[in-house]
Amino acid sequence: MSHSTPQAIGAVRAPLPNPALVREPLIRAEGVNKHFGVAHVLRDVTTRFFQSEVAVIIGASGSGKSTFLRTLNRLEAHDSGRIVVDGIELNDAVTNLDAIRREVGMVFQQFNLFPHLTVLDNVTLAPRRVRGVRREEADAAAMELLTRVGLEDHAHKHPFALSGGQQQRVAIARSLAMSPRVLLFDEPTSALDPEMIGEVLDVMKDLARSGMTMIVVTHEMSFAREVGDRIVFFDHGRILQEAPPDQFFEGQQNERIRAFLGQIVH
Amino acid sequence: MTSLVLAAWPDSWSREQRCSATMIAAGVVLVLFMWLLATPLAAMPEPVGPAAQQFAEGSRVTVELTLVSGLLGVLFGVLAAVGKLARFAPLRWAASFYIWAIRGTPLLVQMLFVFLALPMIAPGLALSDFNSAALALAFNVGAYNAEAIRAGILAVPKGQTEASRSLGLSPFQTFRDVVFPQSFKIALPPLVNNIVALLKDSSLAYVIGVVELSNVGNRVQAATFQPVPVFVATASIYLILTTVLTQISGAIEARLDVEQRQH
Repeated sequence: MSHSTPQAIGAVRAPLPNPALVREPLIRAEGVNKHFGVAHVLRDVTTRFFQSEVAVIIGASGSGKSTFLRTLNRLEAHDSGRIVVDGIELNDAVTNLDAIRREVGMVFQQFNLFPHLTVLDNVTLAPRRVRGVRREEADAAAMELLTRVGLEDHAHKHPFALSGGQQQRVAIARSLAMSPRVLLFDEPTSALDPEMIGEVLDVMKDLARSGMTMIVVTHEMSFAREVGDRIVFFDHGRILQEAPPDQFFEGQQNERIRAFLGQIVH
Repeated sequence: MTSLVLAAWPDSWSREQRCSATMIAAGVVLVLFMWLLATPLAAMPEPVGPAAQQFAEGSRVTVELTLVSGLLGVLFGVLAAVGKLARFAPLRWAASFYIWAIRGTPLLVQMLFVFLALPMIAPGLALSDFNSAALALAFNVGAYNAEAIRAGILAVPKGQTEASRSLGLSPFQTFRDVVFPQSFKIALPPLVNNIVALLKDSSLAYVIGVVELSNVGNRVQAATFQPVPVFVATASIYLILTTVLTQISGAIEARLDVEQRQH
């Protein structure tokens, strides 16, 4: 999983990619700032994300990590700086936005499945509407994805009939149905009962092994350590440190991060 | 009343089947009722019996008025609700003005306005009495529908829009496929209230000369001087019609209730 493991470590410095595998970053953020009223929630955030990389964003609540993730598919608009996804700059031009959202999937903390549609229709809606795929083809592709997340037997149920973990797996399949180039995860296990976290993390690990580019905001340190190629630590709207997991978790020198890890890792 | 018909079907039937059966049955009852109404009425004693054809024709006009203005009214309601939530300020103002003006004036005045004043303002808009009544009723119920639908749209969680948009669906697709179906389910009970009220309000078409059920009732009592049996018969027909309406809407509501909260 560590074919694009970054070499450099340090505050606000983007890691160097392995030049043999990747040249252009898939997503580039440069000096991104964002305010909510008087609150300055993102401060000069600069980083890059590469093809097939699993980046794990951690940090205290309110540190700006979810907001940053949401700027990457423009669920939040940034105030200044540049965000370039797959060569397309995120700005107010709507055609850009639709093109980008087709390539950037998102999995939410609250699943956000469509309650009035069956599991199968949840997965096929976007391919049918956005890509114009015929229903039979979309259904067949969706069944494949549902099998991949272990829910093929639940295809004709409505979301309310599923457990939280099952709903989140459907949400992952729904995102995958658009064949995105990168998947954003916004605290995908934070709303789950403890016994259901494992099944969702297993699906995510499986995805990572298949080479999917993933940016994951999470509090699951074991996942970060095991699957992440790079840890991005947010603090008060800034990236305080970026490092490979072994360096980040083992030889951590930064007092602030040590204190954060001390509260979370047991 | 709602659950009575729904529960009358065999236990082995699914919720969807029961709801569909109820909708079909109520629809058939409505059609049969309209078609055959003259027959039982003709068997009734004076003064209703001899006027059976008039009563049947008046009921048909009442139902037509309700269906036409009800469908148009839902359309107006959706447009005004979307307008009121629009980002473009002039649309919001237009929708707010419409709702404010309609809800702040009597339906009777609106009906007279469409029939008598509108042709003065725009000679091309001289409508028949039925069309004037239908248009006035549609505008009227549309303003009330708008508030119900707007509340329904606002009740759909923001995460639904975010999920849909992040999948690449356009704002219009998001509204049509994700937000509207959910908001319609939420708005349905108040919408049904509005339609039932509309069926009764259609009696005001009487003042511009539409020969609907109330008008027939009044004409028959004026000719026979027997208001008690005439108005009992008139009110009974209204009661049957509103009951059929609530049965249909109850079935639609249950059909949309995929989470089965009502059981």
